Amino acid sequence: MTVSRRSFSAALSAGLAGPGLIGRSFAQGATLKIGMCSPVTGPAAESGRYAQIGARLAIDAVNKAGGVLGKQVELIVEDDQTTNPGIVLAFSKLAAQQDIVAFVGSIRSTQTHAMAPDVLKVGKPVMIGGTDPALTRMGNPWIFRFRPNDLYSGSVIAEYGTKTLGKKKWAIVHSTDAFGTAGGKALSAAIAKLDGASVVLDQGYANQSQDFTPVVLAVKQSGADVLGSYFTFENDLGVFARQLRQLGVTIPYVGSPSITNVTALKLAGPALYGTFGVADYAEESSDAARAFGKAYREVAKVAPDNQSSWTYDALTILCMAINKAGKTDPQAIREAILSIKKHQGAEGEYNFDANGDGLHGYNIVRNEKGTIVFDKHIESAI
Amino acid sequence: MDLALQLFFTGLGIGAVYALVALGFVLIFRATNVVNFAQGEFSMVAAFLMVVFAVDLHWPYGWAFLAALAGMALLGVIFNLGVYYPLRNRSFLPVIIATIGASIFLANSVLALYGPQPQVLPGWFETPGLQIGPVYLDSQYLLIMAVTLVLVGFNYWLFEHTLLGKKLQATSQDKEMAALLGIPVATMIMLTFVYSALLGGIAGILVAPILFVSIQMGSTIALKAFAATIIGGFGDVTGAIIGGLALGVIETFGAAYVSVPYKDGFAFLVLVAFLVFRPQGIFGERVAEKA
Amino acid sequence: MSALAGAVAAPATRGITGLLLYATLAAAAVAAALLAPLDAYMLHILVQTATFSIAVFGLTVVLGLCGQINLAQAAFFGFGAYAVGLGTTDLHLNFWVSLALGMGLALLMGAFLGMATLRLGGHYLAMVTISFQQIVTLIMVNWIPVTHGPDGVSRILRPALFESQRAFLGLCVVMLALVGYAVWRLPQTRLGRAMRAVRDNELAAGVAGINVYRVKVAAFALSAVLGGIGGGLFAGGFAYVSPDQFSFAESIVFMTMSLLGGVASPIGAVIGTGLLIVLPESLRFLKSVPGLYLAIYGLAIILIIRYMPDGIWGFVQQSLRRWRPPALTSAPAIELMLAPAEGNTGMALEVTGLAKHFGGLKAVDDVSFSVRRGGVHALIGPNGSGKTTTLNVLSGLYTATAGRIVLGGRELTSLPPHARTAAGLGRTFQNIRLFRSMTALENVVIGAERPGNPIAAGHGALVERARAALAFVGLAGREQELVSSFSYGHQRLIEIARTLAGNPSLLLLDEPAAGLNSSEKLALRDLLKRIAAKGLTILIIDHDMTLVTEVAEHITVLNFGRRIADGIAAEVLRQPDVITAYLGTEPDAPARA
Repeated sequence: MTVSRRSFSAALSAGLAGPGLIGRSFAQGATLKIGMCSPVTGPAAESGRYAQIGARLAIDAVNKAGGVLGKQVELIVEDDQTTNPGIVLAFSKLAAQQDIVAFVGSIRSTQTHAMAPDVLKVGKPVMIGGTDPALTRMGNPWIFRFRPNDLYSGSVIAEYGTKTLGKKKWAIVHSTDAFGTAGGKALSAAIAKLDGASVVLDQGYANQSQDFTPVVLAVKQSGADVLGSYFTFENDLGVFARQLRQLGVTIPYVGSPSITNVTALKLAGPALYGTFGVADYAEESSDAARAFGKAYREVAKVAPDNQSSWTYDALTILCMAINKAGKTDPQAIREAILSIKKHQGAEGEYNFDANGDGLHGYNIVRNEKGTIVFDKHIESAI
Repeated sequence: MDLALQLFFTGLGIGAVYALVALGFVLIFRATNVVNFAQGEFSMVAAFLMVVFAVDLHWPYGWAFLAALAGMALLGVIFNLGVYYPLRNRSFLPVIIATIGASIFLANSVLALYGPQPQVLPGWFETPGLQIGPVYLDSQYLLIMAVTLVLVGFNYWLFEHTLLGKKLQATSQDKEMAALLGIPVATMIMLTFVYSALLGGIAGILVAPILFVSIQMGSTIALKAFAATIIGGFGDVTGAIIGGLALGVIETFGAAYVSVPYKDGFAFLVLVAFLVFRPQGIFGERVAEKA
Repeated sequence: MSALAGAVAAPATRGITGLLLYATLAAAAVAAALLAPLDAYMLHILVQTATFSIAVFGLTVVLGLCGQINLAQAAFFGFGAYAVGLGTTDLHLNFWVSLALGMGLALLMGAFLGMATLRLGGHYLAMVTISFQQIVTLIMVNWIPVTHGPDGVSRILRPALFESQRAFLGLCVVMLALVGYAVWRLPQTRLGRAMRAVRDNELAAGVAGINVYRVKVAAFALSAVLGGIGGGLFAGGFAYVSPDQFSFAESIVFMTMSLLGGVASPIGAVIGTGLLIVLPESLRFLKSVPGLYLAIYGLAIILIIRYMPDGIWGFVQQSLRRWRPPALTSAPAIELMLAPAEGNTGMALEVTGLAKHFGGLKAVDDVSFSVRRGGVHALIGPNGSGKTTTLNVLSGLYTATAGRIVLGGRELTSLPPHARTAAGLGRTFQNIRLFRSMTALENVVIGAERPGNPIAAGHGALVERARAALAFVGLAGREQELVSSFSYGHQRLIEIARTLAGNPSLLLLDEPAAGLNSSEKLALRDLLKRIAAKGLTILIIDHDMTLVTEVAEHITVLNFGRRIADGIAAEVLRQPDVITAYLGTEPDAPARA
């Protein structure tokens, strides 16, 4: 039963060239390599696929326009298995290839935290989609974010509910995982800053809860006149929304991005009609968003969402920055990225701050009987 | 008071789901002395089968239901032949681990074949629920409670009043003796697995309209149902039912009055308490090993 | 369980040679870790493999060696990881101090979990460990002020001097080697033997003088500490930990690694861990379809359990065993000394008013008798008369409902089995209970190891006594063979030798002639006579009246749980009650004398 690693590797390097490496676009001659850690396997495999489609769209556009520094761009994908050790391994595998110029990381904050020490060591730019505010405030100069972080989602939800809808008493329902906890915190903090507004209920729940009766009843009892939420999984959101309506709760509801995605709409159906959501990507919010949406639909045959828009923007801006810098030196690329202002991406207008955050606002969308309709864009005050 | 009533009924509803799955556990345990860690996946597979037949293929609900049950019966047969029967003479540990492997296999096979997105399964009734005074009763939960009652009654009739039931009982209590009396033990075991798969399947199909059909739907329910069987008394059918209902109510009240995020913890705490202070559960008997 | 565990019978020659060989291999591994050309990716993988292996060693101990199921190993791994994580960041403690704290915490929690084994085994134990695991995960996620909740702990520090990836890997390999050596040697220690005995046959282990409960708690505690060490090193290696890495799913992963490689050996643990970490990295083509890899993983678990229950290393070991000649012992065994304990009365055993009720059934009802020192006393009666129940109450497997048991002046009535053995009681079982994975010598050594055995200290004395016992029953020269290779009759002799090695003051024999053919019975009769000739008191239950009449001086007769006769053998056997009890009466014919 003993099989040496060598014979294993030999036997499987043949298999490696197969579908396992999605998105490898070969070109003639020398290429400019960009590495991408993406979940090919594990629970987030589907979203990984969308992320890669977005990235590929950007690269194809860049290559058609002449490439970067005269070379065609090549994307090299490593599977991060949706786990923390997995992304560390994937990143170190990519980092071992010295000719990779920059990297695209994860939409998940815990994974980004996991790879952060290695990123610091390697010293090359990494584009991320995770929304934990701490990621760009850790003193790591190589992390650049292509989605608005949770400080902004919290403040936009708060601003919309209080300033636009005129409600003051907030109930917050959030998952107890990293995303939900951070989001809930951000929303509470934002509400505290608004005159007259207060949090009357801050309710956490564990993912895959199956029954939300206690949570709904708590919302009812709290006397809240507006509800904000951070849900991670669509099936939880579906059960919650249904039970909310069954038990007669009709207050306005502004949720985190999951409330707008296709699966949630399908599962919850009429229960989510009339609700609001913050969405970093909203197709009707700008021309750039519309253009991306059109291009995406042609390739993916499904509607675009924020799982692909950020990688599209990340690669577009990265290539732009390298061209602007004129070289692949990491420090030069970093400065070039940070100097980008008023770039219209699919996710919105990018104005990079010193921390590496490119976006500072969110779109508010409304669920009109099952169709997501763009309402307005709110640029965060903070 | 209204709050408590609502919580009580919701607790009973979810408890009835645990009870149904627990029934499947207990039956297999009584027949084979084995805990089937894949019982939750039976519910999940059945729910996906319903989605395929009723939603994707647009068959009428009733026919889809029968087809899904037929699929579950087949799964029970394959499970017995592939997982339990070859290991029946080994100690309990290999079997536990094999059933854990089976649960991983089933969950991920469905994932590979169907994809990770949760699916919607329409309920049996048009009206989503009834408002009786201050309490809202989800119609699907009412159906679950009714079906559980019927199945418990059926189960009782089967085991106590039919020859087949007696044979099944005999096999579960003493395989060798049953064989010596001419009872086809292998067939009895096969039937037990098929019956348990059907029970698990019915539970899954009934609860799917409420919880949606997802890969993970089986595992949390199964763990709680298992806790329910221990609370009720391992090997005792009535105990499993009561244990399931009790657990549903305890959990719901615990979530409302103590802590929502730790809701899952209540099941385990109660379980541990029973295991420490009364391992035979409410109704079970102490079994001693013959020296 | 023995099939699952695989036999780990080490030849007696391991000793120093083994240590040197091990040390050489370990040094080579450390050198490779420090010097071989490895990129950052490989270094990460090796750190993961080393730290996971240490955690899996924990399962080797608790599951492989002791036969107790532990589905909470990820929780203990997590204790160690969080201790190092929080210790070096929030508490600003030194890495080593944090690691020690983690080990201490894991030890406590492991012992706590082990206490559940007092009442539970099998599925129930499995459920308790799962519940424990789930509760720990819930706490890790929700106790945010302490654990940082789902955000996890980042920027975990490494110890000074080991900060580079390379140096840290070296550290992990050294720890792996040290811990691995301890686990490798454990089966041959007294605790290790006790664990194996508990795994093979819990009842016999208790009766052989082993405190079964304490051994199980120790096994759990050890397993937990190993998990904690692995976790602490893992935290240092990856610099970031979060609750999702320490969930029930991870416990299953550890379990699978253990089973794949071979659950009873540390080599197996390393093989299994290595394969299951490296394989996913290589089997990329399977991962293009979500779920396919894990589905195959689940299927593989079933197949391994079915076809390779001893894992890869177990399979290798079994193949090698064919080629290894059984070790021969050279020196002849010494004479077996049997020294009956002194007491202040002439009676070796006094049973007064003993009763054992099972609900309404009175299996033993007010039975009293005394066994004279130095004689052979038989307890007979028809089937169902309560003989074996009486014996079980005497040896502590059942608690008496009423009555007193006094052995050589010491009250035994409420003592657990291992304490009675410590007081000088020895017994054999109707269904032979040997430790199937061990050699004859190891079985008998366990008997010699019973607490309170008045022999010289040290392993050498134990082995000498064991060999003497085996020679006494006529099995000299076959000490190193596995008990499964002996005939039924010889296995019976080994069981008796095991009891004799413990220097009992009273020997209880439960149907020793059961299953023996006539020549074996003659040999048994001679053995019993030789034992009696040495002055040891024997209480025997048997149906074979020939054997009983030949060896017993006194007989007590039970029927329906009651004593119906007691006295000198010849007289008792002539009593009409006794004859009626055994032979019955014909309805109309006169009773025969």
